[in-house]
Amino acid sequence: MITLQLLVNGLALGAAYALVALGFVLVLNATAAVNFAQGDLVMAGGLLGVALAPHLPAYLPLPGLLLLPVVLVLMAGLGLVLAAAAYLPLRRRPPVAVFISTIAAGIILQNGASVLFGPEPRAAPPLLSGGTLDLGGLVVAEQSLAIIAVAALLIAGQQWLFGRTQLGRRLRATAQDPEMARACGVRVTAMILITFALGTAFAGAAGLLLANRYFVTPTAGGDLILKAYIAVTIGGWGSVPGAVAGALLIALFEVGVSSVLSYPVALGLLYATLLVILVARPQGLFGEAARRRA
Amino acid sequence: MTGAPLLQVEGLTAGYGGAVAVDRLSLSVAAGEAVALLGANGAGKSTLLKAILGLVPAMGGRIRLAGEEIGALAPERRVRLGLGYVPEGRRVFPGMSVRDNLEVASWLGRAERVRDLERVFALFPALEGKAEERAWRLSGGQQQMLAVGRALMGRPRVLLLDEPSLGLSPKLAGEVFAAVRAIAATGTAVLVAEQSAARALSAAGRVVLLRLGKSIHDGPVETLPGDALRDAFLGG
Ligand SMILES: Nc1ncnc2c1ncn2[C@@H]1O[C@H](COP(=O)(O)OP(=O)(O)OP(=O)(O)O)[C@@H](O)[C@H]1O
Ligand SMILES: [Mg+2]
Repeated sequence: MITLQLLVNGLALGAAYALVALGFVLVLNATAAVNFAQGDLVMAGGLLGVALAPHLPAYLPLPGLLLLPVVLVLMAGLGLVLAAAAYLPLRRRPPVAVFISTIAAGIILQNGASVLFGPEPRAAPPLLSGGTLDLGGLVVAEQSLAIIAVAALLIAGQQWLFGRTQLGRRLRATAQDPEMARACGVRVTAMILITFALGTAFAGAAGLLLANRYFVTPTAGGDLILKAYIAVTIGGWGSVPGAVAGALLIALFEVGVSSVLSYPVALGLLYATLLVILVARPQGLFGEAARRRA
Repeated sequence: MTGAPLLQVEGLTAGYGGAVAVDRLSLSVAAGEAVALLGANGAGKSTLLKAILGLVPAMGGRIRLAGEEIGALAPERRVRLGLGYVPEGRRVFPGMSVRDNLEVASWLGRAERVRDLERVFALFPALEGKAEERAWRLSGGQQQMLAVGRALMGRPRVLLLDEPSLGLSPKLAGEVFAAVRAIAATGTAVLVAEQSAARALSAAGRVVLLRLGKSIHDGPVETLPGDALRDAFLGG
C-alpha cells in the first residue's frame, strides 16, 4: 500500500515535471535555444495562482481548477513577452546569447517575485479539495490525482495539436528546419512566438499544480530547471516523448529514494546519474538521434 | 501552352556579404514553360533560386510574379503568392511523416488539401505506400519525390527546382524529370537548375547558361551552341 501511495505521489510529481520539461523541449526544438528561465516561469505560475486565489468567488466550487485557464492564458502572454525581449533580438546571435538572456529573464522574475511576495513559502489552493480518496484501502490525496489528470490532459492536448493540426505541422516544420519551413510558406517567427507561449503556459500550469503540495518560493525555479534539463537529457536531447518519460522517471526516483533515504540524497544521486548519462549515453536512455526527433 | 511570363527577373544581383554570386541577371519563364538553368559548380544557380525566393537577399534588380513585384516580400509571402521551391539536397522534414511533410505545405482547407495529396500520390505512387513513414527513412529518390510533391502542395504558379537529379540513379532521375515535364504541362512555370546538361535538356524547352553569376546564353534548346556550353563548364 505504501508503495502504491508512493507511486501515485511520484506520478503526480512526475506529471508536473513533465509539463516543465515539455515546455522546455518545445522551445529548445523551435529555437535551438536553451530557455533557462523555464524553472522561474514555473515559480511565476505558482505565485500567480497564489495571487489570484483570493479573487476567486467563494460561492463557486472547484476553486483551484478555475485558476488553471487564467494561469495558462496569462503565462502564455508572459511567454510572448519573454520571446520578444530575450529571444527575438538575439536570434541571429550564437545560442549562448539566448542562454544568457534567459538566465537574466529568470533573475528578473526571481527578484520581482521577492519584491511582490517576500521570501516565505506560499501555497496555492488545491485543484479540487485538500481531501483524500479511499480507493479500496489505497488512500491517496485528491490533489495528486487531479495533478495527474490535468497534466495528462494538457500533454494529450499538445500531442493532438502537434500531431493532427496544420498549426502543429507548421510548429514541427519550424523546429526541424526553419529556413525550409519559410520556403513552404510558414511564418516562422509567428510559430516561434506560439511555441514560447505554449512552453511558458505549460510551465505556469506546472507551477499551479505544484504550488499547493510543495509550496512555492521565489527561488524555487533553480531546482526545477535542473530537473527539466536532466529529464530532457535522459530522454534524448530534443525528443518530446523522451522529455515526458524522463520527467516521470526522475520524479519516481526522487520520491522513491527520498522515502528510503532522504531528499538531499535523492538529489545528489540524480545529479550523479546525469553525469553518467552525459558521459555514457549522450543520446539519452531511449536513444533516438536528435535528427530524427518528432 | 506558353504565354506571358509568369516569372520575370530583371537585373538581379545577389550574393553573400559583399561577394556577388548572381550578377545583374535577367530571365523570364512563361506559364507551361520549363527552363533549364545550366552552369558549373559555383556558377550561382542555387543563389539565383534562393534570391528569387528571398532566402538570399537581393542587392539589386526586380523580381515579378505574374506582373507583381515581389522582391521586397518575405520568402513565406512569396511562397503563398505562388512560388514553389525544391531545394538542393531535398531537405524534407526528417522527423515528420511523408503525409505531414506534404500537408504542411498546403494553404487550403482540409478537403482540398486531401485532394492535392492524392494528386501528389498519383504523380509519385512510390510515396503513397510510405505515407505514414518518417521522411528520413525514405530512399534518396523517394525523398526527392517528396520534396517535389511538397512544393506542389502549395499549388505554385512558378516552381523552382535545384538539382533535383543530384545523387539519383539515371532511372530515378528520369522519373523525376518526367514529373517535371508533367508539372510544366499543367501550366506551371518551371525553372530547374542542373549541372548535368543532358538531363536538363531532356526536360526543358529553353536553356539559360550561367557562368560566374552571369547569363551567357538564353535560348531554345535547339539553338544552344556547343561552345557556349563548353564555356559555361570549362571557362573560356
Ligand atoms: N552561404 C554562402 N556564403 C558565402 N558564399 C556562398 C554561399 N553559398 C554559395 N556561395 C558562393 O556563391 C557562389 C555561387 O554559389 P552557388 O551555390 O549559387 O552555385 P551553384 O551554381 O549552385 O553551384 P553547385 O552546382 O555546386 O550547386 C560560389 O562562389 C559560392 O562559393
Ligand atoms: Mg547549387
